[in-house]
Amino acid sequence: MPREVAIYGVLLPTLLPILIGVAACYWLLDTALGRFGFYQRVWHPPLFRLSLFICLFVGAAWVLQQ
Amino acid sequence: MNLRNILRILLTLAIFALAILLAFRLWHHYEYSPWTRDGRVRADVINLAPDVSGLVTEVAVHDNQRVHRGDLLFTIDPLRFQHAVAEAEAAVAVRKAALDQKRSEASRRARLDGVVVSSEAREASGFEASAAEAQARQAQAQLEVARLNLERASIHAPVDGYVTNLNTFVGDYAAAGRAALALIDADSFYVYGYFEETKLPMLRLGQVVDIRLLGGGALLHGHIESLSRGVTDRDNATGQELLSNVNPVFNWVRLAQRVPVRVQIDSIPDDLMLSAGMTCTVIVRPQKPVKTAAEAAKNR
Repeated sequence: MPREVAIYGVLLPTLLPILIGVAACYWLLDTALGRFGFYQRVWHPPLFRLSLFICLFVGAAWVLQQ
Repeated sequence: MNLRNILRILLTLAIFALAILLAFRLWHHYEYSPWTRDGRVRADVINLAPDVSGLVTEVAVHDNQRVHRGDLLFTIDPLRFQHAVAEAEAAVAVRKAALDQKRSEASRRARLDGVVVSSEAREASGFEASAAEAQARQAQAQLEVARLNLERASIHAPVDGYVTNLNTFVGDYAAAGRAALALIDADSFYVYGYFEETKLPMLRLGQVVDIRLLGGGALLHGHIESLSRGVTDRDNATGQELLSNVNPVFNWVRLAQRVPVRVQIDSIPDDLMLSAGMTCTVIVRPQKPVKTAAEAAKNR
């Protein structure tokens, strides 16, 4: 996958669309986890959520960029 | 603290540690691996200038036309050069006649004895014949120059290439030495990747690179051919009174200079229309360290 995408002639890093896509997925996942009460089982919910988002984003970027 | 609590803490810490590790890897991949978004497709541009001046009477090509080596590009009015050739031919004939005359004089005087012609006159006529011969050769050389000028009145393509930005038309006056037409050498396309100086130590001569053009996803392959040994020092322009004009820059934030790295394109697909000036991304493939560019240059 190229490292950048051209949107209307503007060269953007591919990371940007990936970020947007992952953010949408994360929002769904986050809502679901919150609904099922998963965050009550972890030690520090804000830290866990942040880490989860970073893992998802970097994982997606890593897989798609190879 | 029971086991359940420890597991809760461990789960959070584990995913936190994973996030830090992954983020660091991605950052490293983006910021420190040798690649640049600032790549340009380039080609040798030949500024074709006529060798003789004159009116353009024929333009045999049209804009952006593909031409082959030796093809006629445009013609300068040959009449003046044809007349010059005729004049030079006449001059040669005159000199030849003079040479014949001097030669026959010299040989006749050489045959006569000393009573009829003095030895000085005999000697002089020999030298006159030699001078006439030299003048005949001179006229011959001038004829060759006139023929060359006539030949140079038609401008041919020196290489296979593309006519670009054609701005010469019938009736224009083409001056000798002033470029009238740009020709892009079709076999000379290469890529300049402008790499930050911080990434230069990671580059090796001969390393394989991927070239991705901004327009369309065509992926080309190439290898590092060389790197530029100089860029302009932008912080030190010559100011007034020949003093250097050093830019006062911040001590903290320093921008890395960009150094052009020349990449040779290994193969260009036939259906790909490359154009000099296109933007591309240059990604150097990771490779086991063999020889840095600096070492290779040192050994050379």
